[in-house]
This record gives sequence, C-alpha cells and structure tokens, in this order.
Amino acid sequence: MAKYVWLPLILALLVTGCSSEESSVIQDDGNVVGSTDQVNEDSPVEGKIGYSAMSLKNPFFGIISDSLKKAGAAHGFEVTTTDADSDVKKQANQIEDFISQGVDAIVLNPTDRLAIGPAIKKANEAGIPVFTCDLQCVAEGVEIAGHIGTDNFQGGELAGAAMVEILGEEGGEVLVLDFNQANSCVLRVDGFKKVLDAHNASTESGKITIVAEVNGGGDQDIGYKAAADNLKAHPNLRGIFAINDPSALGAWQAIKEADRLDVIQIVGFDGELAGKQAILEGKIYADPIQFPKQMGQGIIEKLLAYQAGEEYEMTTLIPTALYKQEDAQKDPELKAAE
Amino acid sequence: MMKNKYIRVLFVDYGMVFVLIGLCVLISLLTISDMHPEDPSAARKLASSLVKEAGKDINVLIVARTTAADEAFATTLKEELENGGAHVVGVELGDPSSLRKRLELLGQQDERVDFVATHDFSSKWRVLNSSSRAEMASLYPALKNLKIAKPTSYRWPTFLTANNLIGILNQNAPIAIMAIGMTLVIITAGIDLSVGSLMALAAVVAATTLQSYLGGKDASGLDVLLAFIVAMVVCALAGVFAGVIVTLFKVPPFVVTLGLMMVARGMSYILAGGADAVKIEANSIGALYSSSVLGIPSQIVMMILLFVVAHVVMNHTAFGRYVYAVGGNETAARLSGVPVVGVLIAVYAICGLAAGLAGVLDVSHFGTGRPKAGEFYELQVIAAVVVGGTSLMGGEGKIFGTFIGALILGVIQNGLNMAGVDSYRQMVIYGTLILIAVLIDQLKKKVVKPASN
Repeated sequence: MAKYVWLPLILALLVTGCSSEESSVIQDDGNVVGSTDQVNEDSPVEGKIGYSAMSLKNPFFGIISDSLKKAGAAHGFEVTTTDADSDVKKQANQIEDFISQGVDAIVLNPTDRLAIGPAIKKANEAGIPVFTCDLQCVAEGVEIAGHIGTDNFQGGELAGAAMVEILGEEGGEVLVLDFNQANSCVLRVDGFKKVLDAHNASTESGKITIVAEVNGGGDQDIGYKAAADNLKAHPNLRGIFAINDPSALGAWQAIKEADRLDVIQIVGFDGELAGKQAILEGKIYADPIQFPKQMGQGIIEKLLAYQAGEEYEMTTLIPTALYKQEDAQKDPELKAAE
Repeated sequence: MMKNKYIRVLFVDYGMVFVLIGLCVLISLLTISDMHPEDPSAARKLASSLVKEAGKDINVLIVARTTAADEAFATTLKEELENGGAHVVGVELGDPSSLRKRLELLGQQDERVDFVATHDFSSKWRVLNSSSRAEMASLYPALKNLKIAKPTSYRWPTFLTANNLIGILNQNAPIAIMAIGMTLVIITAGIDLSVGSLMALAAVVAATTLQSYLGGKDASGLDVLLAFIVAMVVCALAGVFAGVIVTLFKVPPFVVTLGLMMVARGMSYILAGGADAVKIEANSIGALYSSSVLGIPSQIVMMILLFVVAHVVMNHTAFGRYVYAVGGNETAARLSGVPVVGVLIAVYAICGLAAGLAGVLDVSHFGTGRPKAGEFYELQVIAAVVVGGTSLMGGEGKIFGTFIGALILGVIQNGLNMAGVDSYRQMVIYGTLILIAVLIDQLKKKVVKPASN
C-alpha cells in the first residue's frame, strides 16, 4: 500500500490553475488615464522573448544572442536563450517550452529548414509571433513575422572578387570547400561561381577553373581532411574558397603540412574572431564578413514594429563586407583580444 | 516492524519517485511567475468586474488573436459584457497591425471607445501602450478616454501547468518508449547502442517507402500505416540480427550494437541520399502525432499503454522471469531449462522494434524522414534506464523505474529551460544530477538492504 503514497502527490501536481485570487483591480495603468499630457514613456512594458539558437558551440550565434539580449533589454524585453545544438527535435521541444512559458515572441535559427515547420505552426496556433534569423524556414503553411539574415549570395560574390584579385591575370585552379546541407552556404558558392564565370567570360588567358567542390563540413577537422586529399589530387592548385572560417583554417593547416603556403591562397567567410585573427596573420587572404550584432538589433526593431502594428520590412538581408589584412590591422576587436 | 518494512521497500524500490517529486517541487519554486489567464472563465470574470467598476454605460472593443482559444475568449467576453449591459463596439481578432487599422477606423467614424478589453498578451502590444494611445487620442476625440481592461494575473509556477506537463510527457515519449526495450536488454546484462540509429533508419525507411512505393502525394492513411509497419519490421529484424550475433557467436553486445549503430546510421544517409531529410507529401503523415485521446496526445497514451504491458510481461509471465534469469546468471538459467538464445534474440528484437516505433513517431511529428534523427539518443535512453534503477550488471531492474527515470531526465531538461539556465551550465547540471540520482539509489540499497537480512 505504502508504495502508492506518491499518487495523491502526483495528482496534486497535475491539478493546476486553481489558486487565482478572486476580485481585484481590472483596469490597467491607473496613473495614465488616456489624457494626452500624462504620457509615461520610460516605463517599458515587460515582455519575454525566447531565442532558440542553432548551436552555441559556434560563437556566431552567441553574438546574436548577446545582441538580442542587449537590444531587448533596452525595450524591456527579457531574452531567454536556449541551445538547439543543431538538433531539430531539441529545437522543437524548446519552442514548445517557450509556448508553455507564454513568451511574447520566439526567435530562432532554424536547424532544419523543413522539419522545424510543425513547431513553428504550433507557435502560430498559440498566436505567438515567430522571427527567424540567419537561416530561413521554407516549410509550407508557416507564418513568419519577420526574418533577418546575411545576403549570402552577395557575400559569395565578394569572395569571388577576392579570388579574382588573388589569381589576377594568370588565373588557375581553385578548390571549393562547401557545405550543401545549409542553404546559406549553397548561396555563397553560387555567388562565388557567378563572379568567376563573369571573369572567365572576359578573359582569354587567365581563366579560373574550379577543379573540385567537396564537403568541408563547415568544420576545421573535416575541412582539413578534405583539403589535404585534394591537395594531393591537384598539384597545380592556386586557391581555396571555404564557406566558413573553421573549414578555411582546416584548409590552411593542410596547405601548411603540404608545404605549399607560398602558392595557395585562401578566401574564407564569416569573419568570426578566429577568422579575423587568421587574416591578420596572413593565413587567410580575405573574408566576406557577416554582422551578427546587427541581427539581434534588427530582430528587436521588427518585433517593436510588429507590436506597434506598423508597417515593416518582412525580410532584411544584411550585405557582407570584404575584410582583408589592412582591415584587421585597424580592427580594435583584435587588439583587445591579444 | 511492518511499517518499517514498507518504508524500506518504498525507499529501495521507489527512491527515484522521491527524487522526481523533489525535482518537481524545486523547479516549481524556481518558475513561479505571473500567470495570465486567457480562458472563457477569465473572460467571464473580466466582464463582470469591468461592468462593476466602470458601470454599464461603456463602449468596449474586444481584442484578441486569431487562435481558437482566443476566439472562445472573445466570444464569451462579448456575450457576458452584453449581458451585463455594456456596449460592445466590435471584436477585433488579429495582430497589432490589424488592431491599429481597426482603432483608426473607429476613430475616423467617431465611434467612442472607452475600453479595450483583452488578455495580457495583446495588452502588451505596443499599439496599445500609453504613448501610442496618447497619439491616437490627439488625432481622434473618440479615443480620448481609451483604457485597457484585462483579466487579473496570479502567481503560479509555469512548470506546473497542464500544458507544460503534457508537453514534457509528449517530448520524452519516444525516449521513454525506447527505454522500455533498453530496460529488457540491460536486465539481460546486455546493452544496445544502436537504438538512435535505428530510429533514423525507421524514419528514412518509412519516408522512402511512402514516397517511392506507396504513391507519394496520393498515399492514403492506410499506406502511411503500412509504411510505418515496414519501418518497424526493418528495425525489429535489425534487432534480431544483433541478437543472433550476440548469442550464436558470443560477441559482446557492446561491440555488436556499436557496429549496428554505424551501419544503420550510414544506411539512413544512403537511403535519404544525403543529410537532407526526405520530404513526405502524404497528407495523413501527421495524423499519428497530432491525434489525441481525451485531450491527451496519443503518443503519451501509447507510451503509458506500452509501459503497462511491459510491466505485466516482466512481472507476471514466464518470459519476464526468463529475462531476469538470463541476466542474473546465464549458466544457471540455461541449466534450469530457460531458452537463453531465444530470450536474448527476442529481447534485442523488442529493443529494435521500440526504436522503430520511436522513429515512426519522429516521422509523424516532423513530416519528414530525417537521417539525423535520434543522434546520441542511445545515451539518453541508457541514462533513463540507469537513473530508473536498473543495474548495468544485469539481473535487476524495473519497468516502472525506467518510466520514472525517463521522467526525471525530461523534467530536469524542461526545468532548466524554464528557469532560463544557459546551455553550458545545463550540461553540467544534467550530468551531475544523473550522478547524484544514481548515487542516492546505490546508497539507499547499501544502507537499507543489510538491515533487512
């Protein structure tokens, strides 16, 4: 018998929502009674935002989280960040938890552009606005209140321009370390190829050929292995375009071990701290850099406009900027890191 | 003395229940916050209080979102306000942007509005804040005295809401279901590392079967069911395969299932043609996940039924006794006539089948067959079993304990999210709590058992 003592306890836990106090004030804001001269601007409404980050192992999303928190706090929003760890099931759970907590808005970097759909639909059904950031959701029938991301195609074009700058008149063979699982990375390669094609059309002698496009995993280790194998396969390689900094750094390690640093240059992407440092040291020639700090700010601006019922741009793509060694030398962020 | 014995039983066998209750209490205390009722009964109270406080001669605009729950709230509010004698100028179901347009329209029509009656969520829309209202008041005299009315809030733990508790069960149902099979395997002193990968295999097999052989977009509900069965059978066969290698070739289960884990994961990627999920077009794919029995998601009902069945099988059938016997002492079991080979193969097959079911539930949840599904789930499943008090040495363990173990892990994860603990600290706390939970269990056994002899 005694083993059932927990039963009433569990039942007691399950019974909820009965402790509401009876009569109490109903009207909101007793001090402001609609009169025009009594506006009280500096009492922001308290609100909660839930942010489900793609993966906090990647500092990029940590920066987005920090910028969301900072920009949110300025307008009375408390931001809770959770780490989806690149797992869509985890992210779906986190979104459900946010709905239970009754947040005012949900922000996420979709871990899977299709499979996250049902979770976003749940938020839609609960009437909570959902904003996506960096990566977009392409599932059908979901309502997204706003998106902010990087213009990855334009970034790819800048990377292509940098590669043309490196190889110049001579042209040569180029390796691409891609990551096709992420749509953003596909766009980067597309932009890169567009510029190379334009360059090749305009020149006779200095054509740049992509000899291989292999999966760099967006990861230092996988990028290293992929680059090392292709360095052996392509003795005349002159350049490598890696779709992010970790895979670019992996490629650098492989080139170094093959002792071909003098002939092969790397163009990376992202401009995370390690990447910028590598540019300063001359390991990477240049990066189209993203601006994650602007993303948090941008999301809050969209949320404010949404809540005020104003018109706003549903999708904002922030253009990247090319970052080279001379930029790194002037960068206060790097000096602080040293 | 009798009482003493019961207390012992309680602590030894069900100590984890107290851990779970303790955790629930702790998380409840940590998550106490303002709750904002949005149901019809809150609407009723709001209507009567508003009429009582502001009188009958008021014009009210009712504001809510377009969700089903909000519509019920708004309808009740309208009825009750009108019954109370107030004048409802309109019901605006929408978002801040549509509300702004509605207010501007009312202003232009010079329709006096005294109150916006809404719930907390919409009351926080900036279009209703004091500066925005002041701006509108200066433009439209009809909105000069616009005030907000919303239901009273109360303090209550966010953790302890029906919504959240059902959510925890629902989120952890696939892991709990896999943990049933894992409990059986671990009781036989084995281990199965392949469950996470088999889950992905089931997901991808179900998806590709539907897309390639059962008509894709035109697949009926029956076809979906067929694809699910195919996927589960494939996983059960994988389990049989593992069981055969373990028993006939005497290869340690750790190695066999490690191999199977990699093979199944690789096959999932091959079948899916890469890391992208296989899209499923059949309409009824989500039916299993989104259906419910008496308001409880059917996934939870399924989980509870399976736990009950497993409990009965393990405690009241010959097969259950065989499983314990094999884990306790394989040689002794063989000598006393237990069909050891058959029992072991059956146990791995059941474990595979459970993983297949979890994979099928994943497909139904996400509407895609994900080759990445269930990554590292084997560890969570094993953790649930071990926290539930099953010994990795075999021979002892309880199905009910596994249920509690799965709940403990689920509650910890949910509680840490609710309390806003960041993910790095979550890992540390999660790991530490697993250690503490298991340690408490061990200590209790040590302290209490010798006394009973």
